[in-house]
Amino acid sequence: MANYLVRRFILVFVMAFVVSLASFVLLYSAPGGPLEQLVALQSTTRRPDPDEIERIMKRYDLDLNLFVRYLRWLTGHPRGPIVIGGQEVFGDLQVGCLKEGQARLVYPDGRVVEINCAKPVFLRDLADRPTGNGVIRLDFGRSQQLAREQPVIELIESRLGNTLLLMGLSTFFAIALSIPIGIYSAVKQYSRFDYFFTTLTFFGSGMPTLFTGVMGILVFALLFQRLGLPYLPAGLVESNRDAVVPLLGTIKAGSFADRLWHLILPVAVLTFFNLAGWTRFIRSSMLEVLRQDYVRTARAKGVVERLVILKHALRNALIPFVTLLAGVLPTLFGGAIITESVFNWSGIGRLFINALVASDYPVAIAYVLISTFLTLIGFILSDVLYTVVDPRIRLS
Amino acid sequence: MPSRKHYSVLALAATTSLLLAACGAPAGTPVVQTVVVTQEVVKEVEKEKVVEITATPVPEWTTPHPILSDIRVRQAIAYCTDREKLIESVYGYLPEEDRKKLLMDTFIPKDSVWYARNVDPNANIVDYPYDPEKGKALLEEAGWKLPQGGSIRVNDKGEPLALRFTTTNAPFRQTWGAVFVSQLQQCGIQLLPSYIPGSIWFGGNSGLRRRDFELGAFAWVGETEPPGVTLYACDQIPRPDNGWQGQNYMGWCNERASTAIKQANNTLNDAERKRLYAIVQEEFSKDMISLPLFQRLEATAHNKELKGLKADPTEYYTASIADWELPGKDTVIIALGQEPASLFLLQESAAVATIVGQTVFGTLYTQYSYGFQPVLLEGDQFPTIENGGAQNVEVEVQEGDLVVNADGDVGTLKGGKLIDREGNELSLKGKDINGNEVEIKAGVKLPQLTVTYKFKPHKWSDGEPVKKADWELGYKVACDRESGAVSFFTCDRVVSHEVLDDNSYRVVYAKGYQPPTYYLPPFGYYPSHQKLADGRTLAEVPPKEFKNLKEVTDTPLGTGPYRIKEWQRGQRIVLEANPNFWKGEPKIKNVIFQVFEGGPAGAVAALLQGTVDVVGKEVLGAGQELQTVIEEANKGTIVAEPMGSPTWEHVDFNLNVR
Repeated sequence: MANYLVRRFILVFVMAFVVSLASFVLLYSAPGGPLEQLVALQSTTRRPDPDEIERIMKRYDLDLNLFVRYLRWLTGHPRGPIVIGGQEVFGDLQVGCLKEGQARLVYPDGRVVEINCAKPVFLRDLADRPTGNGVIRLDFGRSQQLAREQPVIELIESRLGNTLLLMGLSTFFAIALSIPIGIYSAVKQYSRFDYFFTTLTFFGSGMPTLFTGVMGILVFALLFQRLGLPYLPAGLVESNRDAVVPLLGTIKAGSFADRLWHLILPVAVLTFFNLAGWTRFIRSSMLEVLRQDYVRTARAKGVVERLVILKHALRNALIPFVTLLAGVLPTLFGGAIITESVFNWSGIGRLFINALVASDYPVAIAYVLISTFLTLIGFILSDVLYTVVDPRIRLS
Repeated sequence: MPSRKHYSVLALAATTSLLLAACGAPAGTPVVQTVVVTQEVVKEVEKEKVVEITATPVPEWTTPHPILSDIRVRQAIAYCTDREKLIESVYGYLPEEDRKKLLMDTFIPKDSVWYARNVDPNANIVDYPYDPEKGKALLEEAGWKLPQGGSIRVNDKGEPLALRFTTTNAPFRQTWGAVFVSQLQQCGIQLLPSYIPGSIWFGGNSGLRRRDFELGAFAWVGETEPPGVTLYACDQIPRPDNGWQGQNYMGWCNERASTAIKQANNTLNDAERKRLYAIVQEEFSKDMISLPLFQRLEATAHNKELKGLKADPTEYYTASIADWELPGKDTVIIALGQEPASLFLLQESAAVATIVGQTVFGTLYTQYSYGFQPVLLEGDQFPTIENGGAQNVEVEVQEGDLVVNADGDVGTLKGGKLIDREGNELSLKGKDINGNEVEIKAGVKLPQLTVTYKFKPHKWSDGEPVKKADWELGYKVACDRESGAVSFFTCDRVVSHEVLDDNSYRVVYAKGYQPPTYYLPPFGYYPSHQKLADGRTLAEVPPKEFKNLKEVTDTPLGTGPYRIKEWQRGQRIVLEANPNFWKGEPKIKNVIFQVFEGGPAGAVAALLQGTVDVVGKEVLGAGQELQTVIEEANKGTIVAEPMGSPTWEHVDFNLNVR
């Protein structure tokens, strides 16, 4: 077991490294980026000076080769020339280019070398640049766009609580509801109840949260309010001013009741969406188990049907369900991008989308990296949980 | 140091390049054209014993476009375009007369004081009313005939009149774009639409900036100061050899217009500027290099109980926030489409930062209705030459002086050359005080501007009066290269900045620098006395730390009507009334900026629900939500006054091919 876990954890770090490299290279190769912000400043009455562009490039390391930039982001190094015994080494090593050039050298042997850099950046130039401690020391750098120059980790922390609350509650309700519905649908297969919930869950999984969210706002927020019925808020985490709701009375802004009031609609939308998949999973798993010999044997022995289902069938039906829980961990962190956007829920998912739209790469990569890490940890957890719920399984 | 021999090699190559160029070497062959010599190149030469240095041939983007370089085709496209129908396709819910007000015929909106017909009703602007017959006739004349039974015109070589039409994939543009395509189809012009993501179309190395289009649609945002220098001057055509600098994406070079637009930006005489801008508008419409379509519609929607909000095309609604009243409520809630990245406004220029910034810092002047109005300036007037607040006198240029040439570039006169900060040699063409061209050299006389900016006495929100040290700190931070400030355009053109007392400072500008808006205060101030969490005062903080200081970026001290109480990142910014505001404490005690990053729909829903009081034009945009608020306003549930935005849609014609 210990060996297995060590191997898996090593694999987690290797995988996280590969993902970080891939996301870093892909994002920085995409069009847009911090320089766009400067270009956007280019007014119709003047254009940015070349040194304005160069200053932005230096500030965000955009003048460095992608690999050097990645190294500095990952490890916080290199920070200048290497000093050995008081002597600078590799100070003249070119690590980037601040301004492209347009010259070509033709050598006597026929070689042609493009000189594409008019202002090269050398290792020694990095000495006077501000540098973070690197992702390996949990320093994800500073935001380039959304909260300019503020640490990424602070930005994530500011949204984490809201996301955990939303995702935790919706996941809890989805699981709590899907298990009994799935069991009952399986036990009463092809009954009216089964047909009703099968239809409902298909509808739930088929309808994107964008649709159910907007419909929820239109009906339960706007329409209900206009009809004088008890209504729900159209979005946000909490109110800015007290609200008077028919039948419910005054809901004080920022109170516990207010937070709860704002949670109802987004949690309901997410629960409805997640319920579908999980109910179907439990139902099919239960159906499979209910056809097993040992269940038939239990029934033949005269065990009460309730015990057969809950003790013999359900315990075994839940084993594959554990694999689904592996996916819950990154979801709890990652949030629900669409739902958070529809309800203006200030969470991590929306932060990620905003970071992508604004080309705030340090924030976007931090999100991808943390999600990757949690997904991999989730896999390990599910493996371990397997051994707990099913004694037949041993990790080696 | 490189040897003389190597310099000879370079010189030989350069000479060869000139000779070959003079002989008209065929395009496409790897000829020696220019040599970009850097120290590193020379080092390389020494090390490797290079015998020849050539420059990589660069595509020039000067070849005339085979179709669009013909003015008749461009004019035909203009005549074949029914712009009223384009407006109707996106603003069909507006009454016809309101739609007509959005029509554009030059690059300046009709409600601007700089619009040629507002200066002279008989201005020689060429109109292009919808007249497909005239358009077809022009195409016939240009050799584009409709083949028997065909719907697309062809020339005598049988080539079809087909052009790429590129714009963003925004639903708004796709809507009017589809109508535009079908209108040109009626005249026998085939447009091949390409609706691409904004990140590509406006990308730094793609789309518009690389002039990768034939017909390209996008919007310019009009400004209080009329635009044009970077849009229409001959030296603003982006090409590989100038690093794609400039925004004259059409590649339009009309000497009369180019000269006029440059002169308009280098004279202090407003009447003369209006005359010059009229010339540019005339040439612009005559040459038809860009088809102006329409101003976008915009509106700021708000709670009908809210009084005092002043919506304007060129000023943000928060400029009037000190005068707002909301009977029965002590808090006004304003929707923000995104969160300000920072309130360090030297670094941040997004609309949301300005909106929150006006609330916290106040304004020294406003920009209502395409004009400037003094607010915090002494005597409620700007320092002008006419009222003695500024002096523009002829002075002799000396060696070592900071000088601005006729192109607006700044440099130092050294050894008879004008050298910029980068060490590049600049043009020695200058303008004397009468606008005549002179050669910049020691002894020549150029105009020099000295302006004294005086302000009303006022206090920071903590009660401390604004003082001399605050203005000094403002200048120091604004002009420190390490401060994180984005632009040093004005700093680079200042010879001296002297704070005279607690409420005034004097700026002496570089010789030859004649900014038309010289009367606007170029520098602000910081509270030098402000205590930071680490015990220092702001005056003790090096400028390079400003961009990372929470006391500057998140909870700055200001002199505006409100002060920041709390900023919950990602959610809201809570402000309270400033009892020390110079106009007196505002009537509404609290302001909350609520962030709605999920798009305008959420903000509009909140407005209709009554949980938000103001949804600004920058949040509403031009889509479906705008229509919703206008319809709701017509029902009387909210207030939303639609108006022509300074942002205007147009189609540019690329006059060159690679």
